[in-house]
Amino acid sequence: MGFPSGEVAIVGVYTTEQALDHSRSGFDLELEALEGALADAGLGLADVDGIATTRPVSDVPGSYDPLYFWAEQLGRRPLGYLGSGLPAAALGKGALAVSAGLCSTFVLVHGKSGTKINPARTPLPTSAPRVGAWSETIFGASRAGWYAAWAQRYIHEFGVTSEQLAQVAVDARHHATLNPDSIMGHRGEITVEDVLGSRMIASPLHLLDCALDSDGGYAIVLTTAERARDLRRKPVHVLGAGESAHIDYYLNFPDPAFPPEGGAVRRAADTAFATAGVSRDAIDVAGLYDCFTITLVRDLEEMGFCKVGEGADFVAEGHTRLGGSLPTNTDGGCLSNSHNGHPGGMHVIEVTRQLRAEVTPQRQVPDARTGVALTQGMSVMGGAGVLVLGVDR
Amino acid sequence: MTWVRPLPTITPESAPFFDGLRERRFLVPRCTGCGDLNWSPYPACRSCLTREQEWTEVSGEGELHTFTVMHTGPRAFTADGPYVWGFARLRESPRSLLVMGNLVGVDHDAVAIGMPVRIGYFDVPDHDLTLYHFEAAEHAG
Repeated sequence: MGFPSGEVAIVGVYTTEQALDHSRSGFDLELEALEGALADAGLGLADVDGIATTRPVSDVPGSYDPLYFWAEQLGRRPLGYLGSGLPAAALGKGALAVSAGLCSTFVLVHGKSGTKINPARTPLPTSAPRVGAWSETIFGASRAGWYAAWAQRYIHEFGVTSEQLAQVAVDARHHATLNPDSIMGHRGEITVEDVLGSRMIASPLHLLDCALDSDGGYAIVLTTAERARDLRRKPVHVLGAGESAHIDYYLNFPDPAFPPEGGAVRRAADTAFATAGVSRDAIDVAGLYDCFTITLVRDLEEMGFCKVGEGADFVAEGHTRLGGSLPTNTDGGCLSNSHNGHPGGMHVIEVTRQLRAEVTPQRQVPDARTGVALTQGMSVMGGAGVLVLGVDR
Repeated sequence: MTWVRPLPTITPESAPFFDGLRERRFLVPRCTGCGDLNWSPYPACRSCLTREQEWTEVSGEGELHTFTVMHTGPRAFTADGPYVWGFARLRESPRSLLVMGNLVGVDHDAVAIGMPVRIGYFDVPDHDLTLYHFEAAEHAG
């Protein structure tokens, strides 16, 4: 018994155009991504027999569930596996399903357009909406607010400065300038002063401490390593995976906020590295969920790349920048590439492309053989999926 | 002015809490099995899964555990300018009692982690409903 390390591979990836505002529907983006990722692999829609989607509901009114929607949309096909979880976690479980023979071609698909995370983009209501009794919305919470409250507490406990957090955004933008597909790269480099001078969103987080609030789609295809040998692309093997949930998102603040034993990300990372049989030192390239600058700092700690309270120092030392010991979010990440609603798969795709050695030369990590991708939720304590990936030497 | 901020849907399970607010009392479910306080309210005790919990009045006093000044947020809130959202640690700790809410009546530059706060109550205009917020207090947090 054990994780089927190396038995399943990512064989196709695709990202649609990422944009601050798409005029296309979420489904349109999903379908382009699905077909694109299958074409990248040298497969077709007829091969798909396992699927996961990031959507809570499909576009069709009355549709029971987005996975049943896909079964019907794909021609009333009896799917063999219905995925679930945060993107990196869905892929880890998808690999298990492929390995176990529940399905042979598993696809994670995402597409989002129109709806926005920033609540300021929703019009002022004319009457008071009724919400759940304990809902954060009664108090005007927002995603930025939650992470800002985390950042405030983090600064309080560890003496970290806003300047140090800003460095994360500076590095992300630098990487984005090397990624022609990124939303912000063409706007050029930014400085720490630019971040601190951008308008305050939720103190201590400024506009440039926050992810983009963009639209876009992507898809990722898994199949067996055996089958992958005959397909178009260099197989990127799933070596290990982990998933965790720790607290019920957006109801409560973890207490303590920064326990040395960690939360969901720690659990998922420990599982992923253990199942892969790969040490953290072996990681050549990382894609770590970076919805805010504070998020990446905490990711690094919870992933075990540094100690709790030392994440900002780790960034300041240049480890996470291209050329450093752990090049991270080399596409520009959620901060400067795209945060398309469920961007966890974007991190997986960039690591995959790095391991395939097919990104622009300026951002290619030399001789990248082993990578890790993290999807997290709720300030690294709430939920996590981690995927360890590798290519043959 | 019409109240356009979200309001809680009150169910038989949550009604005792909101009845408490009307009486200017902050009630927290206390497990009848192990005695643990459970916030936010949940169907069973997080410590021992006992389903029987009693709404128990707590002091309403504590300290600001963390906060943010929200400059961008839902328009129903930012229409009145930036606002403070965060968590108060009620003094009934060490059992975790971090309560979400808005701190009001404090100059935003003076808001700090650790400052003493207490739960205050206000009646929602045009609705038969009382809600709570946090206010600065003088007690030692």
